[in-house]
Amino acid sequence: MLRYALRRVPSALAVLAIASVVVFSVLHLAPGDPAVLAAGPDASAKTVSAVRHQLGLDAPLPQQYLTWLGGVLTGDLGDSYVRGVPVATLIGNGLGNTLELTLGAVVLAVLLGGLAGLVLGVAKGRLVRGATAAATALAFAIPPYVSGVLLVMVFAITHRILPAGGHVSVFADPEIGAQYLIMPALALALPAAAVLARFLSTSIRRVFGEDYIRIGTAKGLRRRRIVLCHALPNALPPVLTVLGIQIGQMLGGAIVVEAIFAWPGVGQLIIDSLKSSDYFVVQNLLLVTVTVFVVLQTVTDLLHAAVDPRLRME
Amino acid sequence: MTGQRGQPARRTVLAAGLSLGAGLLNTACRSAVAEQQGSGGGPRHGGTLRMVQGTDILPAFLLSQINPNFSVSRTVFNTLTELDHRTLRPGPSLAKSWRVSDGGRTYVFQLRDDVAFHSGRPFGPDDVVFVLDHLTKDTTSSQVKAVAQQVTSAERTGDHEVTVGFGKAVSNVWDMFEMMILIDRESVTDLASGREIIGTGPFTVESYKPGSSISLKRNRHYWKPGRPYLDGIEIAIAAQSSSAVASLRSGQTHLALDLSPLDAAGIRDRPGFRLVQSDAHDLTYYIGANVEVPPLDKVEVRQAVAWAIDRERVLAQALGGIGRPSSLPWSPGTAAWDPGRAAAYTLDPDKAKRLLRRSGAAGAKVDLYYSNTLATNAAIAQIVQSNLEDVGLTCRLQPKQDAEYQKMFVSGKIPGLFVNGHGFGQLTPSTLVKGSWPFNAQQNASNFRDPEYRRLADEIWTGKGDALTTAYRDLNQLFLEQQFVIDLINSTHTYAIQASLKGLAWTMYDGIDLDHAYLA
Repeated sequence: MLRYALRRVPSALAVLAIASVVVFSVLHLAPGDPAVLAAGPDASAKTVSAVRHQLGLDAPLPQQYLTWLGGVLTGDLGDSYVRGVPVATLIGNGLGNTLELTLGAVVLAVLLGGLAGLVLGVAKGRLVRGATAAATALAFAIPPYVSGVLLVMVFAITHRILPAGGHVSVFADPEIGAQYLIMPALALALPAAAVLARFLSTSIRRVFGEDYIRIGTAKGLRRRRIVLCHALPNALPPVLTVLGIQIGQMLGGAIVVEAIFAWPGVGQLIIDSLKSSDYFVVQNLLLVTVTVFVVLQTVTDLLHAAVDPRLRME
Repeated sequence: MTGQRGQPARRTVLAAGLSLGAGLLNTACRSAVAEQQGSGGGPRHGGTLRMVQGTDILPAFLLSQINPNFSVSRTVFNTLTELDHRTLRPGPSLAKSWRVSDGGRTYVFQLRDDVAFHSGRPFGPDDVVFVLDHLTKDTTSSQVKAVAQQVTSAERTGDHEVTVGFGKAVSNVWDMFEMMILIDRESVTDLASGREIIGTGPFTVESYKPGSSISLKRNRHYWKPGRPYLDGIEIAIAAQSSSAVASLRSGQTHLALDLSPLDAAGIRDRPGFRLVQSDAHDLTYYIGANVEVPPLDKVEVRQAVAWAIDRERVLAQALGGIGRPSSLPWSPGTAAWDPGRAAAYTLDPDKAKRLLRRSGAAGAKVDLYYSNTLATNAAIAQIVQSNLEDVGLTCRLQPKQDAEYQKMFVSGKIPGLFVNGHGFGQLTPSTLVKGSWPFNAQQNASNFRDPEYRRLADEIWTGKGDALTTAYRDLNQLFLEQQFVIDLINSTHTYAIQASLKGLAWTMYDGIDLDHAYLA
C-alpha cells in the first residue's frame, strides 16, 4: 500500500507544477498592469515605476515565478497588490463564506428535494402530485439569478421579513446568520432540489415495482413502514450520486447568487480581483483550487486502492 | 384501503412541513431586519448607521482621493483644516488657527491640545511633519503630491505648533491640507493592509473584513464634545448597484453611496427616501482625445466632436438628469468658473459637419474606448457613437476590460477617443492641471503638450491678482479651442438615504462627515 501511495505522489506533484506554470503564465499574459492599479489614480510614471519595483513586478518573469512558488511552498501566499491584505486571509474568508452558502443550499436542496421526491413518488392524490410536479418544474426552470431577485422583492422589500443581502456568519451568530443565509441558499438550492425530487421519485417508483415491496404489502405491512424502511433506503443510492453532481453545480452557481445577495464569497473575490488586475490573488486562488482537487483525487485513489487490492497490483 | 394507505404519507409530509416552518419561526425570535433598523425613530443619540457601497475600501490609498475610501476618510480620520463649502476658505479642524507669512511661503499652525489617536497616543506636531514627509514618497499615491513636494521644511516649533515652509507660494496649499488625512505614524506599516486603521476621527475601526464589510464604533474620546451621535457604522460592500438599491428599499440600509445614476434617479421619487447631491459637483464626464492619432490630431476634428455631442441627451439618458451640461472642467463656485464659456459647445451637427469637411476628415473612422465595467460610461459611449455617425464620422466602440483600459489610459496609449470621468474641478483650479491625469500640463492621457498650456498651468499655480484672473480666462479659452478633453456633463456624487438619516454632511473632496449625523 505504501509503495502504491508513493507511486501516486510524483504524478500529483507534476500536475501541481504544470498547473502553477499555466496559472502564472496565463494571468501574466492577460491585459492590464497591476502596478498601474496599485499606484492609484492620477499616479505619475515615477510613482507607477516605484510601485512596480516595490511589488517586484519589474523582475524577469521566471524570477517572479520562482519567488511566488517559493512563497507558496513556505506557506506565504503574499499580499494582495491592490488591497495590501494577506492573500491567505482573503482566500480563507472567501472560501469559508462560499462553503457556508453552499452547505446551506445543500441542506435546503436535500430537505425540499427529498420532500417533493417523496410526495411525487408515493402520494396517491392527483392534486397533490400535480401541484408538486408543477412546483418542481418551476423550480427547475427558474435560474437562481431570477429566483434570487424575486425572493428579495417578496421577502425583503414587499414584506420586510429577511435581509436583502449581506452576510453574518451562521457559525458566529446562528440565529441572525440563518436569516442572512436562507434566501441566497434557497435561490441556489431550488434547481438542485427539483433535480433531486425528480430522481428520487423515479427511483422510488422503480423500487415499488420490486418483489420485496409487493411481498411486504401482501404481508400487510403499513405503508409508512414500507416507504421509510424498505423503499427509501433502496431508492437513495442513485440519488446520492446525483446529489454529488448537484453540489458541484451549486458551488459554481454560487458566484451569481453571491453577486445578487452581496455575499462575500470566492466568486466575488475572483471578480473583484480580476477587475482590479489583482492577479496575485487570482493565481493563488486558482492554485489552491487545483491543489484541493489533486489532493482529493489522490486521497480517493488511495481509498480505492485500500478497499480493492487489485488496484495496488497495477 | 388505498386512501388509508395514502394518509400516513400525507401526514408525514404535513408533519415535516410543519417542523420546518416551526424551525424557521424559532430561528426568527431575533430578527436580522429589526437589528438592521436599529433604534430608528428613537432619540438622537445612539443607533447604528448602515451603509452600503459598491467597492471595498482600499486603505493603501487613504492619502489619495478615490471613491471607495470616501466612507472612512472623514469618519475615521481628521485633517488640519476643512474648507467652507460656501466661501471655500479653510476652517479649523485639528489646527485651531494658523498664520501665513513670507508671501504665502510659511504656514504656522496652532494645533488642538485635546486630540488623541484611537490608540490613545496624543496627537501632536510630529504627526503633521510625518504625514507631509510620507506624502512625498515615490510609493505614496496622492493627487496633491506636487504641492507636498514644494515643502522645504516642516518642523515642530512648539508643543502644539508646527511650521511648514514652501519653496514657492502656490495657490492650492489648502487643497492639500483638505485632503491630507492625519494618519498614525506608529501604525503606518499596517495601514495599507488594513490591519491597523487608526486616526483621530469620530469613529474607530472595530473590524475590517476585506471585500465584505467594515465596522466602526463611536470614538468615546472624540475631541468634539457630545459627538458623534451614532453608536456605530456598519459599511457593507455590494458590487451590484441593484443589490444596494434592494438593501435600501428593504430598510436594511440607511445610506447607499454612489448608486448608478439611473438607480439613483429611481430612488429620488420614492417616499421615505431622499437623493442627496453633493454640492462639490466634483464629477465631470468627458470624452478624451489622443491628439497624436489621426484624425484627432487636427483641432477642427476635436472641435467637430464637441459640436456633435448631444449633452442634454447624455444627461437625461445616461445620468438620470443628475448634473448639468458643461464645456469646461470647473464646477460652479470655483475661481475659474465662467458660465458663458461653460455653455460654449451645444449640439450643432451642421457646424460639426462643416469643420469635418474643412479639415478633410469627413467620413473618417475613429475608435471610442471605454471601460466595460462602468455602465454609465458605456451608456455615454453609445450616445456619442450615434452622434458622431450623424455628422459623418464612423465611430467604432471599443469596450475594454477595466484593467486593460486603465493601463492604456495611464500610459497615454488609447488610440482614439475615450469616455471617462474626472474630478478636481471643484476648488483651486491649479489642483486640476497639476494633479489630475487627464489635464496634467506636463504629461496627460491625451498626449497634449503645449508650452502655452504649461505656462498657464504654472501661472494659475503661483500667480496672484489680475494676472491670475487673466490666466484663468486664457486657460478656459485654450481648453475650448484645443478640446483635448471634451467636457460633457458636470455631475456630482450622490447619497441615497432613508429619510430617517439626518445631519449627513461631506467635505469638499467628498469624504463623508458624520460628526453630527443621527437616526431620527
